[in-house]
Amino acid sequence: MTKITKRQLFTGAAGFAIGGTAMRQAAAQALPPHEAELYAAAKREGELTWYSGQLSAESSEAVGAAFTRQYPGVKVNVVRSTSQVAFQRLSQDVRAGVAQCDVFSSTDISHSTFLKREGMYMQYRPKNIDGVLEAVRNLDPDDYFHISYLGLYLMAYNTAKVPAADAPKSWKDAIDGKWKNQVAIGHPGYSGAIGTLCVLLRKLYGWDYFKTLERSRPQIGRSSQDPVTMLNAGERTVGLGVPIGTTLYSMSRGNPIELIYPTDGTLLVPSPSGIPKNAPHPNAAKLFMEFAAAPGFSKAAGEFFNLPLRSDVPSPAGSRPIDQIKLVQPTTEEIETGVPEIKELWRDTFGV
Amino acid sequence: MIEPATLIWVALIVVLLFLVAGPMLKLLAVSFERLGSGTFTFNNYLQAYGRARYLEALGNSLVLGVASSALAVLFAVPMAWAVSRTDMPGKALVWFVVMGAFVVPPYLGAIGWILLAGPNSGVINTVWHWISGTDSALVNIYSFPGLAFVIALHSFPLIFIFVKSALDLVSSEMEDAANILGAGTAAATRKITLPLVWPSILGGIILVFLETVALFGTPAIIGIPARINVVTTQLWQFFEYPVRVEVAAAYAMPLLLITMALIGSQKLMLARKGYVSQTGKGGERRPIRLGAWRWALFGWCGLVGALAVAMPLLVLLQASFAKAWGRGLSFDNLTLNNYTFLIFRHEMALISIWNTLWYSAAAATLAVLIALLVAYIVNRRLVPFGGVLSFLAMAPFVIPGIVMAIGFYAAYAAPPVALYGTAAILILAFTARFLPIAFASSTAALRAVHPEMEEAARILGSGRLRTIAQITAPLVRKSLIGGWLIVFIVASRELSAAIFLVGPKTRTMAVLLYDLSEAGNFEQLAAFGGILLTITMVLVGIGMKLAGRDFMLRRM
Amino acid sequence: MSRLRLRGLTKTFGATTVVDGVDLTLEEGEFVSLLGPSGCGKTTTLRMIAGFVAPTAGSIEMDGQELSSPAGVVPPERRRMSMIFQSYAIWPNMTVAENVAFGLKLRKLPADELRQRVREILGIVQMGHLAERYPAELSGGQQQRVALARAIVVKPSVLLLDEPLSNLDANLREEMRFEIRRLHDEFRFTTVYVTHDQAEAMATSDRIAVMHAGRIEQLDVPHLLYTRPRTRFVAGFIGRTNLLQARLEGGEVGFTGFAFNAAQIGIAAEGAPRDVLFSVRPQGMCLHNVPPADASQRPMLAADVIGRTYLGECWDYMVAPRGSALQLRVAAPPLQVHDVGESVWLEFDPRQMALVG
Repeated sequence: MTKITKRQLFTGAAGFAIGGTAMRQAAAQALPPHEAELYAAAKREGELTWYSGQLSAESSEAVGAAFTRQYPGVKVNVVRSTSQVAFQRLSQDVRAGVAQCDVFSSTDISHSTFLKREGMYMQYRPKNIDGVLEAVRNLDPDDYFHISYLGLYLMAYNTAKVPAADAPKSWKDAIDGKWKNQVAIGHPGYSGAIGTLCVLLRKLYGWDYFKTLERSRPQIGRSSQDPVTMLNAGERTVGLGVPIGTTLYSMSRGNPIELIYPTDGTLLVPSPSGIPKNAPHPNAAKLFMEFAAAPGFSKAAGEFFNLPLRSDVPSPAGSRPIDQIKLVQPTTEEIETGVPEIKELWRDTFGV
Repeated sequence: MIEPATLIWVALIVVLLFLVAGPMLKLLAVSFERLGSGTFTFNNYLQAYGRARYLEALGNSLVLGVASSALAVLFAVPMAWAVSRTDMPGKALVWFVVMGAFVVPPYLGAIGWILLAGPNSGVINTVWHWISGTDSALVNIYSFPGLAFVIALHSFPLIFIFVKSALDLVSSEMEDAANILGAGTAAATRKITLPLVWPSILGGIILVFLETVALFGTPAIIGIPARINVVTTQLWQFFEYPVRVEVAAAYAMPLLLITMALIGSQKLMLARKGYVSQTGKGGERRPIRLGAWRWALFGWCGLVGALAVAMPLLVLLQASFAKAWGRGLSFDNLTLNNYTFLIFRHEMALISIWNTLWYSAAAATLAVLIALLVAYIVNRRLVPFGGVLSFLAMAPFVIPGIVMAIGFYAAYAAPPVALYGTAAILILAFTARFLPIAFASSTAALRAVHPEMEEAARILGSGRLRTIAQITAPLVRKSLIGGWLIVFIVASRELSAAIFLVGPKTRTMAVLLYDLSEAGNFEQLAAFGGILLTITMVLVGIGMKLAGRDFMLRRM
Repeated sequence: MSRLRLRGLTKTFGATTVVDGVDLTLEEGEFVSLLGPSGCGKTTTLRMIAGFVAPTAGSIEMDGQELSSPAGVVPPERRRMSMIFQSYAIWPNMTVAENVAFGLKLRKLPADELRQRVREILGIVQMGHLAERYPAELSGGQQQRVALARAIVVKPSVLLLDEPLSNLDANLREEMRFEIRRLHDEFRFTTVYVTHDQAEAMATSDRIAVMHAGRIEQLDVPHLLYTRPRTRFVAGFIGRTNLLQARLEGGEVGFTGFAFNAAQIGIAAEGAPRDVLFSVRPQGMCLHNVPPADASQRPMLAADVIGRTYLGECWDYMVAPRGSALQLRVAAPPLQVHDVGESVWLEFDPRQMALVG
């Protein structure tokens, strides 16, 4: 498994201007043969169930609807939850010996490596994967799972309550005593991305970071998106580990919030999707994986300010160009061993 | 030849064993099974209670249960007394308050109270900041008292219903007797009336305690930000990968023990005092004249009504049409998007509404049917050992809903029964969970039909079935419709029992609301809650037409 | 000074007058019953005495102090009375002893004295051995005794009883009547007793006030109510009777279809002709197969037996005087048997022919 380098992402971003129009025209024409074949089989299956722990509820629904628009007759049952809850549901299915999930998406990469290792994933390489950014293309060299979401997790603050000059500049700033009762954050027991963020921050600053954070009484939500709502309402003024898409979308709707690109690094969470081996609608699932790598998916998710996986889909308005962002990212191994430890540490520190 | 009644009796025993005894016994068995191998072990109990955090969650739940029931008593008992025994004005309003608090699902009330009493942006605190000029919070919902308060606001109707019906049975002569011996109204109420309905208060307290301990939605929504872990959120954690049903089962056992201890101590406390037989006898009931005090009582009822119903619903209504709830009432904050998203762009929302309606209807129908048969057989003494049937039918009353759901998961999710992810497992779980409500209303209804009415038909040549169809059924119809609707309404908002049993396509509105609540998008939540409430209100309206205005407030 | 005095006591509920100008005076230690059919206003009168109901007009005084009037009402808890209720109103959440001690506790008695008095009174009502029982564990009669003990232990200024025996079965009722009277003889509390059962009233009371339609029809000692009813209602309500319309004219009393000499039945015949009403109890007549020797001296008629009922203690004959449309009920000893259709002689006892009103 490779780590995405910033260089790889730059290359992708640069390629965007050239490919855009041509690809869009292609999408309107007849389906490419590999898709047409899958589509025919998927139509017989009629539907698929997507455990979605990556995109917000609204963008998940939009993606599902876009899929059905593109492939009429194949319905998507979107089961949106936080990543850990999605994995919990999958585990419950497994324990009950019932197959219900066709595509599993989470922001915790260790879910996918685990499912691959346990032989519970189906090997499938979407043909369309060749069209995504190179950096995103080969997360799993064995093709059991592929990136379907590039999560950027950073900080945000309420501009009505905090002057720009006073806003924290880094993760490290956010645990300063002056933000007592001001900070909001998701929960690593629910959100995969927050689990990854905790692994990163522990690596950077040790678990003391969270002990200090605990003293300033942060408000703990479940999803990483929860702080965005808290900031919108003015309930809290600084959000930690908010997803860029949800935050930008909220800003576009006139809410008084602004992004903070932490000087100690914006967290990049390459988030994979895979097909469970016993998926009840395997063809529809494969078609969905093709779709995830195709422009339709990135565009539908892009409506909600999520980063595109392809260079032929524009980056969302309002975000800093990706080559100007300092990206940080724990390794897959660090996440795999770190998240279970983090969950326990977190619960011991914060009580929930 | 075997009597048809015996056959039905056997069938009912099988159904009740499946619905009630099966899940509970399986839960007990599983708590001693090693994960994976299934061999005998005590290890699950060690795991379940081996960490301070887990014990703390249990402790939190117990304290929360006590606090909520105490608050609920504080809300409910003065209201019940005022409505039942005094000349307080505006009793119809109290009725709306109780009804409203009962109908609003607790998790929705919790969201309403986040909007009201969020420490920085809640409406109450915003007003307080403006008045006091400070930025400190007047009330903070994200706290232990806040959590207990919100739970009590939606569980006090249980105590109200219990206590009011008990007070209705207390003859005024009981108070007169105290008055004439020198006790004024206050002393008579304190020394005679309230002690007389103490069994009902106690029953209500136990019920609220059990409901509180089994509540999942409110602790997840308020408890996590408030950093309070309770039994239900801890049980949920045991379902994280790897799914440790065994540990969850072991963890749930003390809840059952506590329940049994509660019921046992209640029996013990009331053992020698034949309250019910005494209070119902003779004597008229006259309202106590309170003078100016009646306005004070009315004020109290109004306050509870505002806290439990009016205020949360108003802010939820505002939020459901808002872009961001904290930005208040302004034109540029208005949007229909929350509703259009749910109705037009959220595939699952409509399906979940449909699921909710038909699961609840199916569960209500099943529950009433089973309950009616059991009640009939027991009431008319058609078979020996009818008591076994009524015991099984009433048992779920004292099993916390979430424990029952875990029992269902343990017993029926996996093969050979393999019901996981199907509508059936939800319908059956709802049926089992709310069977006692249906049973109680069926029993009450049948008691009102004197057996002689049936005997009169039979001596004239009508068979038993024909008699039931033509004589008994029409007489109990109203009560049964009432019972059906109550089961329907409570099933339609049930979260604790559903959360472990739903599959992707069988999600109900309550579960979807819970899923949506993860991201804290209160505007959409409010809109979805609004839809749920509208549906419930329509049903309550129908219920009032068919079964009488007070169909939900009769004692069961 | 009288203990209790009701003056023109009136209660109306909306358009209906339930109690209509009741005047009643009780001397200290007196036992008076309010007797009447349901709806006559007796219970409302009692509840006004207790202070549960405020009068519309009139007043209630105790020991010369006004307790109730339309202007204001002393609440029940400040009247130092006690009351026994139809339902007993024994508090089921308290033991027998606790029930009895309730009033004493409110009177702030020292604990020793309280225990002493509870023990005493329970002994008096023969409930001493059941002091720690709960009411649910008692029979109806025992509950009644608890109610009695609870009411008298506080030494009330006035003891009120509201149909206290109506929930007991016949034998127990009789026993308790004597018990109530016994207790009254022992303690001599001023007592107002409400009942619809004349036997109860007669067994217990010094005087009985018969009430009808909100008014007191007659207030008298028990035997005079029976033998000398002053109104048609009282005559009909107290025991069985034959009410005979008659016209008194020229020394003759003319009944329907027959007449007696006024002197023969001991009636003063002076004055203008007038209509009178006689009450003749079934026991006030007797039947003969053959007329006695001095038949002409006595008020006697030829009659036919038209119906009969054997009641064990006596025969209840229905007799029709010849040439009259009247039907009279006559009591005869068990061994005096007449068949239906038999001709008999019906004799009146003039001393038992009460002139009503």
